[in-house]
Amino acid sequence: MSEEKQEKKMTAKELSKKLTIEYLESARHARENGKFIGYTTAVSPVELFVAHDIIPIYPENHSVAAITKRLTTKLSQAMEKEGYTTHLCAYARSDLGYRITGESAMGGIPDPDFILACNAQCFTLTKWFEVLSRKYNIPVFVFDTPQWIRDEETRKRIIKYCVMQLKEQIKAQEEVTGKKFDYDRLAEVMEYSRDASHLYRQFLDLAAYKPSPISIFDALIHMAITVYLRGTPQAVHYYRYLIDEIMEEKVKKGKGAIENERFRLYWENLPVWFKFRNHFNLLAQYGGNILTSLYVHAWSYDFDTSKDPLLTLAENYVSVFSNVTLEERADMALDLFKRYDLNGSIMFLNRSCKAVSFSVHELRDMLTEKTGIPALVFESDMGDPRFYAEAQVKNRIQAYFETLEAREEAKELA
Amino acid sequence: MKREILSKLIEISRNPYPYLKEWKKEKGKKILGSTLADVPEEIIYASGAHPFLILGTTKPLRLATTRLPDNACSLSRSNLELVLTYEGELFDGYVLPQVCDTTQHLCDIWKRKFSDRYFENFLVPRQVNRPSAGYWYIQESERLIWSLERYLGIKIKEDALWEAIDIYNENRRLLRSLYDIKRKHPGMLTNREFFDIVKSGFFMDKKEHNMLLKELIDSIDIEKDKKEDDYVPIVVAGIVVEPNEIFDFMDNGKINVVSDDLCTGSRYIEVETKKEGTPIEAIADAYLKKGPFSPIHDEGNKMFYNLKNRVEKYGAKGIIYVHIKYCESQDYDFPDLRRNLKAQGIKVLEVETEYQTTHMGQTKTRIQAFVEALSEEARNE
Ligand code: SF4
Ligand code: SF4
Repeated sequence: MSEEKQEKKMTAKELSKKLTIEYLESARHARENGKFIGYTTAVSPVELFVAHDIIPIYPENHSVAAITKRLTTKLSQAMEKEGYTTHLCAYARSDLGYRITGESAMGGIPDPDFILACNAQCFTLTKWFEVLSRKYNIPVFVFDTPQWIRDEETRKRIIKYCVMQLKEQIKAQEEVTGKKFDYDRLAEVMEYSRDASHLYRQFLDLAAYKPSPISIFDALIHMAITVYLRGTPQAVHYYRYLIDEIMEEKVKKGKGAIENERFRLYWENLPVWFKFRNHFNLLAQYGGNILTSLYVHAWSYDFDTSKDPLLTLAENYVSVFSNVTLEERADMALDLFKRYDLNGSIMFLNRSCKAVSFSVHELRDMLTEKTGIPALVFESDMGDPRFYAEAQVKNRIQAYFETLEAREEAKELA
Repeated sequence: MKREILSKLIEISRNPYPYLKEWKKEKGKKILGSTLADVPEEIIYASGAHPFLILGTTKPLRLATTRLPDNACSLSRSNLELVLTYEGELFDGYVLPQVCDTTQHLCDIWKRKFSDRYFENFLVPRQVNRPSAGYWYIQESERLIWSLERYLGIKIKEDALWEAIDIYNENRRLLRSLYDIKRKHPGMLTNREFFDIVKSGFFMDKKEHNMLLKELIDSIDIEKDKKEDDYVPIVVAGIVVEPNEIFDFMDNGKINVVSDDLCTGSRYIEVETKKEGTPIEAIADAYLKKGPFSPIHDEGNKMFYNLKNRVEKYGAKGIIYVHIKYCESQDYDFPDLRRNLKAQGIKVLEVETEYQTTHMGQTKTRIQAFVEALSEEARNE
């Protein structure tokens, strides 16, 4: 059988698995093949790595795997013994625990030659990577992205600062790899990145259909490829494949991700990774489906390849939702409410992630004021079951749906 | 030593608000609040407005808890509380730096809460080892200048900036010489007194602060004022020491703080702005040469070496690390720091603090026990 035929039988999920295995294999054999390992943050100009034979490794992804396998509590305890606290991000806790115990849900990840921390996403990662930098005795390169405040003149300056830093990053990479940076290769990588990001966004936008053929849980599963294979032809191929599959299996048949969709929900923050299925099923009972969040949209970049690649990289990474002002973030969320016609909102105050959570009260006020849609705020941890109160969350969700039901009924009566 | 000057400075450090209200009435100046750290105060000073460093409140939290989650650091919560509930009236506006996730959010929340006042954020470079950092600090300083000019309807002249730099340099020089005196004669000026004096300078008019400092220092007669005693030399590490009763516990335990790396201590007063290039370049250059500050990325072990050098230089017997509750930045630093210092045979006591704490007893006991253990060791040597 030809390879193409074999692949046709594969589901997108299986293809994702295959790509992941290949990617991890290539990382494990990087050094034999004259390549390097670069640790980086999920939101970072990784295109510079890909164009420079540096295979990106995302400790965050590795930690997600630990969380979903429920290793985090144990890993965290190992780290707590060394004096770290339980209030750190569960990703960092899982990772620091892994560095101590070696326990991993994916057979471990290779050690770094280069460490990059882009603080558009959060500041935690810089501090966490500083710990790794001391452990492996290599510096952290911080790509510092000042808050993307709404002022045109300042924005121009921010971009200039960021481009300057990208040049510094390239120089630092050249020192580590001993190879001259190849801008032609970067141009190629940028095209793949542009296409994959557009397709990824198209995939997320399938949520606009009624009923929505996808839920946020699909988005969370399928975002992995754009996170770690951005800048490669595989990622482009993958999202085409995925979209085709959903069009065939769902959209054309008029099938939704859940049956009897009644509530189309917005989710604020990262997911509670270890409660994934549970939340999906729980909400489905009420006809509720979470369609989207700003978090999954963090990777729907819009690279303009007619520009200097460093410029479009800077523009895209600095303006990610976690680095904009609260007003702009509310506008970005409102845009999703509008485009996907949402009628409910669950806002997770994630004790792991200060970067995304700290203005949640303010954001809730702003969103409910503008949409009139009530929002549920609940506090928990995305990765550590010790901080998850099952019964409480269930009760609150139930009560929230009662509110939504009453609201819908009132609307129908009116 | 003129005790009345000392008392005045201490009083202002403990409750600056009555003094400032009076002062504001008299001078008719705008008061602009900022939070830690690295906003170029000299620029605000040169604009004719009065820079005031907000250092939290130990009064109960009322409103901040509805705006910031419980796991926001104690400093940010009490800063927000101070302006929401207690002393907001005093301020005409704010210039807030963004140094970590917490401060980034705080800026957004703060700005919304005080939409009727002047507000500017100062986007501090969060890396300091590359040329781009200096570039960015200059850009932000320029932006602050324009912003203040627009708000106040004035022009900030180069002369005014140099004058401000002189005043700040003078201030820091005076504080350094006072630190020297205290270091050598701990019985003469307590830790609490010294750090209260530093703190008062964050609140009051710098020129007046300089005058009082000078008069105080001139009035010191070492032979007459000194009190012989056995003190244990210690280095204090962290960001701030609050509530500052912690210094009382050190005083009671006969500790002499001989050095520190605090934002409200050496990291501030050791700075000397060189009068080279333009004033903004000079300020940026001084910024880049400041000591390490937990949330600003620097070479991985800089904080450790900095502390180790201080211990060696001043013959300290140990380090008291003051950890602000839920300061994530410190949470990440401390375990490695402790391990590395321990490996050098340097004893470290970690003290966790919260502005709203009502029971300081445990902290007191732990500091006492730490200093006793150190003294015991010294006797056995
Ligand atoms: S979950 Fe939040 S704090 Fe943790 S690494 Fe991601 S963005 Fe940073
Ligand atoms: S650096 Fe620490 S103490 Fe300062 S605002 Fe950030 S979290 Fe709070």
